[in-house]
Amino acid sequence: MTQHLSSRRISKYLSGDTRAREVEHLRGCETCRGEVARAESAVAEFRAAVRFWAGEPGARDRELPPCPASLKNIWGVYRPQKKSWALSLVLQSLALAVLFAAASSPTVRHAARQAFELYVPVDIVRESGGGGGQRSPLPASQGKLPKPSLRQFTPPEVVSTNPNPKLTIEPSILAPPDVALPQAASENYGDPLGNLGLLSGGPGSHGGLGSGSSTGVGSDSGAGVWGSGAYRIGGAVSAPVLLYKVEPEYSEEARKAKYQGIVVLKVVVDPTGRVVNPEVIRSLGLGLDEKAMEAVRKWKFRPGYKDGRPVPVIAEIEVSFRLL
Amino acid sequence: MEPTLAGDPCADATPSEGLRDFDALVRQHRPRVFRFMLASLHDREAAENLTQDCFLKAYRARDQFRGSASVGTWLMQIAANLIRDHEGSNRLKFWRRTLGGGVDVGEIGNWIPDQQRSPEARVLAREQIEAIWSAVASLSERQRTVFLLRFVEDLEILEIAAITGTKEGTVKTHLFRALQVVRARLEQRK
Repeated sequence: MTQHLSSRRISKYLSGDTRAREVEHLRGCETCRGEVARAESAVAEFRAAVRFWAGEPGARDRELPPCPASLKNIWGVYRPQKKSWALSLVLQSLALAVLFAAASSPTVRHAARQAFELYVPVDIVRESGGGGGQRSPLPASQGKLPKPSLRQFTPPEVVSTNPNPKLTIEPSILAPPDVALPQAASENYGDPLGNLGLLSGGPGSHGGLGSGSSTGVGSDSGAGVWGSGAYRIGGAVSAPVLLYKVEPEYSEEARKAKYQGIVVLKVVVDPTGRVVNPEVIRSLGLGLDEKAMEAVRKWKFRPGYKDGRPVPVIAEIEVSFRLL
Repeated sequence: MEPTLAGDPCADATPSEGLRDFDALVRQHRPRVFRFMLASLHDREAAENLTQDCFLKAYRARDQFRGSASVGTWLMQIAANLIRDHEGSNRLKFWRRTLGGGVDVGEIGNWIPDQQRSPEARVLAREQIEAIWSAVASLSERQRTVFLLRFVEDLEILEIAAITGTKEGTVKTHLFRALQVVRARLEQRK
């Protein structure tokens, strides 16, 4: 048996430099054949691995589209987006809701009322309120009221003191023309609530009807009908200003019931600045109305002025009852 | 007879006919060129770039193709030249990568084709592949090119000689030296 092939010879054989003698030896020698086979198998593994490794990108490249894929244009005019529109709507609605909620919260409303405790009515006409008389011993007799007017030229006269006037003017009382006043079916002027009987202008003075001292109808001093003769704020009548305030007390029942709210009172602030004749316009009950009137009677105002003189003025006062 | 690439459909065609449909040419030869690039550079990105360059050069020089070799041989010539240029400009980088090289060697070991084998066989195959790869990476550019063309691309010695522009004996010598290194590395593993 010939000597085995050297490592160099096997490499030469594998590299293609073959000789007949080596081929002959390999046919007979299993060891050398195995050596060659091992090297060839290792190289075959390597070849397969490289081909497998390189195989995928080739396949991937072949699948590439033949022309450039069109991409979405990222430049240009953007159309209004539904999402942002909806978001804007929601945000603005939220802002509005917050505003409404804030405005309708009791705290804010109460603060606003505190700031404007005295109303300024739009009606600038002076409140009815009136009285008068012709110094007659009898109370004013029943009759129709003179027509209401915004300006009084002549007070009504039940018993005419001037039978032949040079200028005849229909008598009137101060009241808004559209005010609803009680009427009596009668030819003569008079107090609709008066007594039937002899014609009389009433025991008051300064013309008019009733027991008052002015040219109106009723027991007070004014050119209107009945009432206190107070003025409404506005126009030439200035509003009274609160000088001294007493907080209303809570009634026991309301406190137990944890009851809160606002009592609206209509009061007359007289020329001395005191509150007279409070009336409840909006009631709360549980004794709070009384407590409110009791407190308001102690309040002091700088009176309302008209033409530089203090006059009685009608005002509405909100008295708020709140449990802390 | 002209040396031709085995199984090259363009081999029998005249040079101008082989280059007329360049798309078909690319489709046909690209896998082989890319594989050779990848095996030589062990860098997928560089291999893809150089493959593109190879076909670009071929397309620009298609009028100069005289038909003295087959289209496949011609393309592999261009590829081998590109690799030589690339190695020349990236010599330091290349050596740093190969010497530092656990990652590169490990990567190719993951590409074991037959996943049906037993775990032991796969480990063995992996070891062999990594050993050969590390040996190939340590070869000179010429030796590696010859080794890859011979044992990965299965080309004949004459074709390799045509591609590398050397004589047959030179190819054999390079191949022998490469095999010596590879086999020594395989022996070390054992």
